[in-house]
Amino acid sequence: MRTPTSRHRSLNRPSLWLVALLAALGLSAPAAAQKQGGAVTVGLELEIPGFDPLKVGVYDTSGFMVAATLFDTLTRLDANGKAVPRLALSWTHSEDFRTWTFKLRPGVKFHDGSPFNAQAVKWNVDRQKDPANKCRCAFYITNIIAVDAPDELTVVFRLKDPSMMQPEIMAPPTANNVVLSPAAVAARGDDFNRNPSGTGPFVLKSWTGDRIVVERNPNYWNTGHPHLDRIVFKPLTDAQSRFASLQSGEADLVWDDEYDYDNIKKARADKRLVVHNYVGSGAQVYAFNTKVAPFDDLRVRQALVMAIDRKKMSQAVAGGLARPALNPYGDGSWVKCENDGALPYDPAKARELVQAYGKPVAFKGLFTATPRGRTIGQVLQQFWKQVGATMEIEQVDQATIPARAFQRQFQLTPWRIIDLADPDPQMYANFHTGSPSALAGYSNPELDRMLERARVTADMRSRNADYCEIGRHINQQAIWFWTFQNSYYAIAKAKVKGIPPLFSGIIDVSDAWLE
Amino acid sequence: MASLVVRRLLYLLPVLFGVALLTFLIASLLPGDLATVLLGDQATPETLAALRHDLGLDRPILLRFAHWLGEVLQGDLGRSYRTGQTVVAAIAERLPVSIELMLLAQGAALVVAIPLAIACAVREGGRFDRIVTGAAFASLSVPSLLSAIVLIWLLAVQLQWLPATGYVPLGEDVAGNLRSLALPALTLAMGEWPALMRVLRSDMISTLKEDYIAMARAKGLRPARVLLVHALKPSSLTLVTVAGINIARLLGGAVVVETIFALPGIGRLLIGSIFTRDLVLLQGVVLFVGIAFVLVNLAVDMLYAVLDPRIRHGGS
Repeated sequence: MRTPTSRHRSLNRPSLWLVALLAALGLSAPAAAQKQGGAVTVGLELEIPGFDPLKVGVYDTSGFMVAATLFDTLTRLDANGKAVPRLALSWTHSEDFRTWTFKLRPGVKFHDGSPFNAQAVKWNVDRQKDPANKCRCAFYITNIIAVDAPDELTVVFRLKDPSMMQPEIMAPPTANNVVLSPAAVAARGDDFNRNPSGTGPFVLKSWTGDRIVVERNPNYWNTGHPHLDRIVFKPLTDAQSRFASLQSGEADLVWDDEYDYDNIKKARADKRLVVHNYVGSGAQVYAFNTKVAPFDDLRVRQALVMAIDRKKMSQAVAGGLARPALNPYGDGSWVKCENDGALPYDPAKARELVQAYGKPVAFKGLFTATPRGRTIGQVLQQFWKQVGATMEIEQVDQATIPARAFQRQFQLTPWRIIDLADPDPQMYANFHTGSPSALAGYSNPELDRMLERARVTADMRSRNADYCEIGRHINQQAIWFWTFQNSYYAIAKAKVKGIPPLFSGIIDVSDAWLE
Repeated sequence: MASLVVRRLLYLLPVLFGVALLTFLIASLLPGDLATVLLGDQATPETLAALRHDLGLDRPILLRFAHWLGEVLQGDLGRSYRTGQTVVAAIAERLPVSIELMLLAQGAALVVAIPLAIACAVREGGRFDRIVTGAAFASLSVPSLLSAIVLIWLLAVQLQWLPATGYVPLGEDVAGNLRSLALPALTLAMGEWPALMRVLRSDMISTLKEDYIAMARAKGLRPARVLLVHALKPSSLTLVTVAGINIARLLGGAVVVETIFALPGIGRLLIGSIFTRDLVLLQGVVLFVGIAFVLVNLAVDMLYAVLDPRIRHGGS
């Protein structure tokens, strides 16, 4: 589910066959300017625990970057966010979008020399779904009932619910999507995690301490790729020294986020550097627990939402770089609403609503135990104080927020709607009655009906209309609210070329080249 | 001497047992556990309970400790829950970084501290003494996270003399390795030299008031010889103690400096294992740090005997 997504996707989808055919023909049209050779050093946000889904569950932003070089997925996203062939050459779907058949590329080998084929794809999915393996990764592929491998180069994905964007969902290098070598997993056992083998454009050369070195795969199926000889990945966890490393030349490209706004602004003014920014779908969000006072009262929820000045908040926490979010979809989503029903910023009206409630509005809000969590908490606390509501900030460890949220031990909790190709998985999970992550505890038959209909409608126009109606309903009921859109950053030396849009925040350097 | 070593090594066992037990208990008091970390956004009560059962986290804490201890006594420190790497391999991979950083930082601090201390002691209360004392307090008062950023800004970004981050292994490129460790070692040394300088200075001042120094001077020995041969050695007991404590502490990792300069040392391993509640790894690292601490202190005690014959004779 940590998947990517497409922007600017048109509502009328052209035939996937046509796309696949065109892409297969023109796939490796070489641009004359792309120079071969050279090495790039990448500064990651975090240390990587490994690449075996059974061990690590999911990859984080740092894991994605390295996985994109070591592994391949069946599809990849083009610059417009559409799925095009990678390990799969073409695909078809059944009328109801519940069966997807992929034809695989012949002659591909894993780094350990074993062959890539339909059995390998099936083996990977089966291994993740096997209840005995208790993989955290299985949660994200519950929609896959089974994978069949009728012949050497055909895989069939059978799905529980229709998935119109399955090829897009399978494109990003997530723990679910990358294809590991079954032979290497069998041979290396526990050690595979840090000594992985895939079919990707780069081969793991060394992993000492925290430093990962990958080198060009000379047998890569995509002739002429990759362009670089070598990529060095190292975690630079401190934002200041990460940027300093870029300036002084120890790194050529670094991960970044909008809270490091000082350095992003400096980089934008620096001709030697390029800031890559991508605004995805989804948002940073908060859920009210509507089962407990004072949030069981609509007026209180509306008042708190109307008291938030997102522009001012963006100034305070991200130097103005954070983009206000007024609905759960965001600028990066294909869902476009003329009217999202967002409540306006109106502190006077908010104060009236709090007074109309009659009782004191006092509650606890959960925030992460980080300086950033404290700042955000304090800004919201100030907004709400001005309209007569008192919030006590409770800072807790990042890891305990989901546990508290799922057990409904909160009044107000932060959450996140991540950048996905389609709004359905998260909207359904977050707002349908009875779902574990329907955190607000809100239940409305009309909302449920719309969510159920939107996920199985093939016509994109009526889906769009449904999702807009769903967004309006949630905004008016103020059961969740959204602060900022998901915005992703990478800063690179100007000479580093060939970085695709950062879909889902994934910085893919596997096809980069040096000018 | 041999009995001293044996006694100290026996003493190691209860210390390590206590340290390990305490870490286990403290880590179990942290909110959240390995299961919440591993499950992340799927930490529903059901999945949490199931995973806790699988990992054995639902068993009583003392039982888990006993189990871990049993494995360790059989020589197995286990594998990290999260990475699958053996704890021994993880420590072995990071230890050279911490050792080298420790040696460079201590070396730099001593090179600065010893001459300054002697110079100050010779003219106690003089202008030079007061300037150095002031500088020492200033250097000591700047936290390493600030001095690190200032050094990076000055020497890496502005002057571009040294790299800001990026550890280069010693086996790969010696010059590159030293360059990559220069700034972190300097940062640590800035916090270390003042204490070393102060203790040596005050010991030196009292030594210089001893009768045998007056005697040496009266015999007409050169001042440099009096200072470096007659006075320095007996004045360095506290210096050795402080340096020893620093060495032991740095072997356990310099968390802040390792993080800022992105060095893959023991400190980052330790802090990472705490954040991910990777108890097996955490216990392994703490055990290692404990052993290092006790052994370094043992070495310091033996150095006393070398430096001051009175201790040697008294002990035997």
